[in-house]
Amino acid sequence: MDAVIEVNNIKKRYKKRKTKDIIHAVNNISFTVKRGEILGLLGPNGAGKTTTIKMICGLLTPDEGSIIINGMNITDHRLKALHHISAVLEGNRNLYWRLTVKENLEYFAGNRGVSRKKAASLINDLLEKFKLKDKENELVNRLSRGMQQKLAIAISMLAESDVILLDEPTLGLDVETGYEVREILKSIVQDYNRTIIISSHDMDVIQDICERTVIINQGTIVTDDKIENLLKLFEIRSYTITLGNAISTKQKELLTQKFSHHIYTSDSYVTTLEIDLARSEHIYDLFNILKLEATPVESIDRKTIDFEQVFMKIIKGERSNAIAQPS
Amino acid sequence: MQLLNLLNANIRKNYIEMKRYLPNTIALLLTFYIIFLAMFAGIQIIGDPNTQDMNIQYVIVNYIFWYLAMIVVNDIGWQISNEASQGTFEQLSMSPMGVWRIMTARLIASTFVNILIIIGLLLLSMATTGQWLNLDVITLFPILILTLISMFGLGLIIAGLTVVFKQIQAFLQILQFILAALVFVPLSVAPFLAFFPIVKGVDLVRSVMIDEITLNQIGTGDFMILIVNAVVYFIVGLGFFNFCERVAMNKGLLAHY
Repeated sequence: MDAVIEVNNIKKRYKKRKTKDIIHAVNNISFTVKRGEILGLLGPNGAGKTTTIKMICGLLTPDEGSIIINGMNITDHRLKALHHISAVLEGNRNLYWRLTVKENLEYFAGNRGVSRKKAASLINDLLEKFKLKDKENELVNRLSRGMQQKLAIAISMLAESDVILLDEPTLGLDVETGYEVREILKSIVQDYNRTIIISSHDMDVIQDICERTVIINQGTIVTDDKIENLLKLFEIRSYTITLGNAISTKQKELLTQKFSHHIYTSDSYVTTLEIDLARSEHIYDLFNILKLEATPVESIDRKTIDFEQVFMKIIKGERSNAIAQPS
Repeated sequence: MQLLNLLNANIRKNYIEMKRYLPNTIALLLTFYIIFLAMFAGIQIIGDPNTQDMNIQYVIVNYIFWYLAMIVVNDIGWQISNEASQGTFEQLSMSPMGVWRIMTARLIASTFVNILIIIGLLLLSMATTGQWLNLDVITLFPILILTLISMFGLGLIIAGLTVVFKQIQAFLQILQFILAALVFVPLSVAPFLAFFPIVKGVDLVRSVMIDEITLNQIGTGDFMILIVNAVVYFIVGLGFFNFCERVAMNKGLLAHY
């Protein structure tokens, strides 16, 4: 698959209004997105993901570096590049609340230079696909948040662009509508061969629909890898060990020295040790500590880890160099 | 063709919103008419009876033109300010047509939709006062078009300022009075104002509607001033708007309120 977006060493600095300090919102970020891929762009608040998305959309000019959309540099050929990209950045705030569902679709099509006649069949298809047909003459301010969000995504589809950027597409939606939006996004890629970049704090959504994720923290990329790989990498190193009896003070001290990330719990029923190993071979060190007092091991279970935990670990810096390598 | 589709979309949106919020539109027109009646009464009560008819005719033309100037120049600022706070402006900014084309289409659409209302207001004002002005469409049309182009230029300057500064509501309030000054001031008092936007156009419109001069009686020099004003103000407005858009894109202001 060829790259539809190439982000090369982009930087963006802001000056704080009061203190005049320079903030490096985005500092030397590079990644590519392949055609038909769903990429998750993640990071804590203020990490630089929205700035990155706005630079890709052409709403913000990078101070350094380049963004190539379908072979076109968005800084040099902004309007041409915008033919290949659409976005939903503020969800339901991107809509005209005084217009109906259909009028919104028609207006945004017109704003891209498409006639009502030409857009009519596409609008009809989108209304059907997004299950908005029965609401087509309803004013947007009377729709539920979920429907408004679906309409905003439908509008981004109008452009028939190669790439769709979505900032928090499931924010504030109920479980059912959130699930519906996920399914819609999956079908956009499958049925229309579009490329999607999603920025979200909802890790369930990211884990469910994205193949790959770029995690940004403090303006730089900390991880660029497939979600599957990240889950595996953390999963094999997280264990829950059930012990036959409590461990001694000396063993506790050794555990603290050797393993920074462990939780020891012991009561009258069960004694467990939850431990994260920096390297797989460190398990032998653990066995040596347990062997000191001949502590019986009743079971060793690999801990199941979800993507939210992986994300938190990466953000906290609990990662080996191996997982920081871009795929 | 794409430009026509863009214009069509914006005319439709303008018309739909005006129709959907009819009470608001009616209230606006009623306010306009009540203020006009107050001015008319003022002239009748305290004005010089010898120049009363002439004064009323001047007020009709000036007041109608002021309304037009506010619709064209001021309204675009309010629109951008509102859209930036609502979140729709960034969607417009991502159109491959370019924001300046969308803004120009909006200016034309707004003028097109409001011109019918303005004609209605003009007829109502004339009927109320009994002062029937000369409506020589052939002469008025080119003057109006050229004056509108310079107004569009001014509108784009206001749009550019709003894109960068967003919260310029206070300035837009003051701008209403600046526009009033440009419209109401007679060119004979300050001839250099001919090179300001709107002023020359209104002066010629007054000459046509009140003094009943025809197209042939308007000098080439007068038309040249109108043409130069139209071209210069539109190009300056366009350049300024694009400059402001670039500033906003560099500073990250395009999508922020």
